[in-house]
Amino acid sequence: MSKKTFLGMRPCTWVFVLLVTLTFVTFYIGEQQMGGLTIALFVLGIAMIKGHLVGAYFMGLGGLRGLWRWPVSVWLIIPGSLITTAFILAR
Amino acid sequence: MTQAVDAINLNTVNRYPPGDLAIWIFILAELSVFAAFFGAYAFTRMNNVALFNEFQLHLDREAALINTLALITSSYFVVRAVAAIKDGHHLICSRWLVAAMGMGAVFLVVKVGEYAHHFGQGINLSTNTFYMFYLSLTVFHFMHVIMGMVILAAVAIKAKKGGYNATEHTGVETGASYWHMVDLVWLILFPLVYVMR
Repeated sequence: MSKKTFLGMRPCTWVFVLLVTLTFVTFYIGEQQMGGLTIALFVLGIAMIKGHLVGAYFMGLGGLRGLWRWPVSVWLIIPGSLITTAFILAR
Repeated sequence: MTQAVDAINLNTVNRYPPGDLAIWIFILAELSVFAAFFGAYAFTRMNNVALFNEFQLHLDREAALINTLALITSSYFVVRAVAAIKDGHHLICSRWLVAAMGMGAVFLVVKVGEYAHHFGQGINLSTNTFYMFYLSLTVFHFMHVIMGMVILAAVAIKAKKGGYNATEHTGVETGASYWHMVDLVWLILFPLVYVMR
């Protein structure tokens, strides 16, 4: 984990704050019972971003070179594509 | 000779993920299973949209929010534990891991509360397709949280005894990687099952 700080906080702390913020956005959408393809894909997009942040910054894959940089990102694409396809076909 | 060693280090540093490589094979296998589960949920929902939308509203989103925050926080604590051991602070590392386990415990308690509510209403795997998926997915994930906490406990105990240091801490990174995987899966599960409609 990098010890460089931005505004006095480590990168992992910024990522933590971002993850919490995005979680509240998802929760708000759920509480408003917003539905439809656009909203569903927006929520899924938020989940993909959160997953990428966990893989890159928490798991430490973001700083790697070579193939091991990508497994989490590739994994996110697989369920992401399946879910997107299913929600589009469900319209 | 030194130049040759430096060249080797340059080629190997930051090429492999943190922790034991074997845990990453295990993590990828686990993620594949969950990806299949998520796909099955989404494609089954495709033919049962009204049913899934109706019963999704019966779930406790506030409990899911608390659980999501608990897992994100625990993952953050684990990151701090890894940073601490890299700095050679084995006791601080152990404390961060215990804090992470505390947040894991919060997740388990809240989830048990949810299950108690559902089971109290007579809901089980046979109630309908939505609950079959909801219970299967979340219980499967629940088992992974328990497994992750056992791993974190083992690592925390060894760290407290000084079993890891700034140069040898593969075990801490291995446990951390598994725990982050548990968090990662929930970050997809939460919106898919509780929010997307």
